[in-house]
Amino acid sequence: MGYEPLIQQNPLRVLDMSRENNQMGLVMARAGLGKTALLVQIALDAILRGRRVIHVSIGESIDKTKKWYDDILASILQEHSVTRPHELIDMVARHRMIMTFKVAAFTRSRLEERLNDLVLQDIFRPNCLIVDGFDFEKADREALEDIKNLMENMGMQAWFSAICHRSDPRISPAGVPAPCHELDDLFDMIILLKPEHDATIQLDIIRNYGEQVTDGKGLRLDPTTMMVKEM
Amino acid sequence: MKKDLTNVRNIGISAHIDSGKTTLTERILFYTQRIHAIHEVRGKDGVGATMDSMELEKERGITIQSAATYCTWKDCDINIIDTPGHVDFTIEVERALRVLDGAVLILCSVGGVQSQSITVNRQMTRYKVPRIAFINKCDRTGANPFRVTQQLRDKLDLNAVMLQLPIGLESDLAGMIDLVSMKAIYFDGDQGDQIRHAEIPAELKDEADAKREELLDAVSMFSDELMEAMLEEGEIPEAMIHDAIRKGTLSLELTPVMIGSAYKNKGVQLLLDAVTAYLPCPTDVENTALDLDRNESEVVVSNNPADPLVALAFKLEDGRYGQLTYIRTYQGVIQKGDTIINSRTGKKAKVGRLVRMHANEMEEIEGTGSGDIVALFGIDCASGDTFCSPGLNWSMSSMHVPAPVISLAIRPVDNKAQINMSKALNRFTKEDPTFKTYVDHETNETIISGMGELHLEVYIERMKREYKAEVEVGAPQVAYRETVTQRAEFDYTHKKQTGGSGQYGRVAGFIEPLAEGEYEFVDQIVGGVIPREYIPSCDKGFQKSLEKGTLTGAPITGVRVTINDGSFHAVDSSDIAFQVAAINAFKQGYAKAAPVIMEPIMKVAVEGPSEFQGAVMGSLNQRRGVIIGTFEEGNYTVVEAEMPLAEMFGYSTTLRSLTQGKAEFTMEFATYKQVPKGVADELIKAFAAQKKDA
Repeated sequence: MGYEPLIQQNPLRVLDMSRENNQMGLVMARAGLGKTALLVQIALDAILRGRRVIHVSIGESIDKTKKWYDDILASILQEHSVTRPHELIDMVARHRMIMTFKVAAFTRSRLEERLNDLVLQDIFRPNCLIVDGFDFEKADREALEDIKNLMENMGMQAWFSAICHRSDPRISPAGVPAPCHELDDLFDMIILLKPEHDATIQLDIIRNYGEQVTDGKGLRLDPTTMMVKEM
Repeated sequence: MKKDLTNVRNIGISAHIDSGKTTLTERILFYTQRIHAIHEVRGKDGVGATMDSMELEKERGITIQSAATYCTWKDCDINIIDTPGHVDFTIEVERALRVLDGAVLILCSVGGVQSQSITVNRQMTRYKVPRIAFINKCDRTGANPFRVTQQLRDKLDLNAVMLQLPIGLESDLAGMIDLVSMKAIYFDGDQGDQIRHAEIPAELKDEADAKREELLDAVSMFSDELMEAMLEEGEIPEAMIHDAIRKGTLSLELTPVMIGSAYKNKGVQLLLDAVTAYLPCPTDVENTALDLDRNESEVVVSNNPADPLVALAFKLEDGRYGQLTYIRTYQGVIQKGDTIINSRTGKKAKVGRLVRMHANEMEEIEGTGSGDIVALFGIDCASGDTFCSPGLNWSMSSMHVPAPVISLAIRPVDNKAQINMSKALNRFTKEDPTFKTYVDHETNETIISGMGELHLEVYIERMKREYKAEVEVGAPQVAYRETVTQRAEFDYTHKKQTGGSGQYGRVAGFIEPLAEGEYEFVDQIVGGVIPREYIPSCDKGFQKSLEKGTLTGAPITGVRVTINDGSFHAVDSSDIAFQVAAINAFKQGYAKAAPVIMEPIMKVAVEGPSEFQGAVMGSLNQRRGVIIGTFEEGNYTVVEAEMPLAEMFGYSTTLRSLTQGKAEFTMEFATYKQVPKGVADELIKAFAAQKKDA
């Protein structure tokens, strides 16, 4: 596709993300640290690798979600020279679909119905699902297992975001804070965003494809652009 | 002439089609005693609503042109612009918004915030128009003003706060509770003209208390006084609350929400009270003009009647009384006999008759103060022109005018129709900057172009009805464009020196893509290899070439042409020789510059019950669309997509049959994009065949 340099230069490469399907990823942070920015970068990386992404935004508008992609893509284009930028922008639009739900309207059955609509009519065959705004406080294990099964059946990868709270001390043995502390075994990759003293945000990689990682790999979010950087 | 500007409101009423704005305007005119009987939009009495003065509007039940009307409510002068609800006519909405100080955004309590409301809201934000929301049709089955208020927050990003609570809903709608005065209000009498205040029904007391709390929390942000009064937990004066609501509304940070049913005569008077209480008067709003004598620097208009006049002509109408020009004054006064100057043309005009319009009736006046909306007779101008007193050369900032995306050929059936048609076209192009017309020199056909199928359809109807011009209409054509994608050199010599006076000219240079703008000509000729007097000839030749591209005959845009070499002949070179040389030079360069065809892409939003989402997406996908996203709430879905206009003809029929008529769509122009290869090949083939036939 000609975007090989963009793919190779992406700092996210240190993560083992190009493995085949069926994995579930989780990005956790306190409110406002950059979960959506990171998810969008993960989605764009998948798109550049020729995959199709469905971005489910719960409680957000289509416009706002699209704006995230526009902004991050603009940052990428600023940093890297691409010969025909509008072709890249077009390509991203064709490989991405945004689904927004009201908080109450998002259920596994609704999601399955929508995905089937797309696949059976050959409108869009997604390989990757991004779920931003899933309410882990209210979700039980069963609901999440349900979605994991659906992803396995459809041969898709899924990434979730979850909000944790400073006031909630619960934490899993692997270091995953509440509300996901009892669900962490369902995820193959877990990234925790932590604010640092220099105002950057560290990507603490708690798990990288089933293997526990003790050290982070030195990835940060630049607070001005929200782009992932290697430190 | 009233001088107190604090008692003037220039407001617009805009909303989604069929949410009842014409009915509401009708009721406003009735309660303000401008009309003495109520006619329904699609009423059985056959009279139609007073504001829909154009025959076509009465027939279709939609308002096409914004008719300006004037009324008074409790010592306040209100100028109302009724704006069209269909997105094809947004230039009308935008033009109206430009001259308004405030607006009422009407929403249907069943349909809620629909895509058109989103468009209108975006326009209001662009022109910084403070607004009040009115949730209409609360008497309809499925009415839910609370849901609509929530949608105002979620979808339009407005800080929407309900000022009222309904007493009963749907067919039980009895009245409403005013959360400021904490009184129940009922509308008695056949036409709801007797307002009765009563105590809040006991069963609604708790809900009303809670909602009032919400209201106070939201509006106290705008008034320290109110905040203090709330902390002291004493009685809060009503005036203090009104004041805070007004402040919030004017700062565009608060949107008061009123409810009612215009059709059932409920809540309209309270809306009028809100208009006078919360919407800005002309002096509350800062408007700017461009000073043409000082390099178009921005100047703030003063609203002061003592200053020289600045007025904007925002609408022209050719009615049974002759040409009417609607103007809004921004400073100074305008009086019968005054001399005013059109700052675009520099022409002087004398003010003859001056009238206030009430839909299709009028009231003669002697003059008017600053900040008012009135109409003038017998002034020749285009819409968007600025009028000033002699000595001042200001122009109200230019309006955003989108380029037309669709065109069709029209042919008059006979000679009489021909004459009437040109009269009509002349009028329409002056009235509506998005409506354009020209004659295709090759086919000799008259082409009209505009913003959508319905837009053109309406003008064709108007031609027939108002101008008795019967025309045959061709199939709608998408306004394609051509452009270049790479730099290419040209070097062409035009030489015709065999007998008689000869022709000679050589032009060399390059063409390249231009990111912004349509055409740029760069002259890099040094040493007089092309004499100065022939440089404009080259420019002219290039511009002629742009009219029709070689791929499909569509106009070429986004091109920069640079000339850097050439030669001439002392005797045989001429203006025409260099024009011909430039035309051929362009042709030569264009072929090498990888030309492509561009097509208009529309932003389409389809809304309807969720059960049809799959079918809707399928239908969009089949039409080369890119689905941007979907939004789901309960059983209601919106699908947003970017669609090539060429694929959207007849979509309303497809959609209707796919969804049992339960879904609807709106579309507006988004951008131009390159046509995919397969489609481009087809277009080029069709053009070649057409040329062969001709």
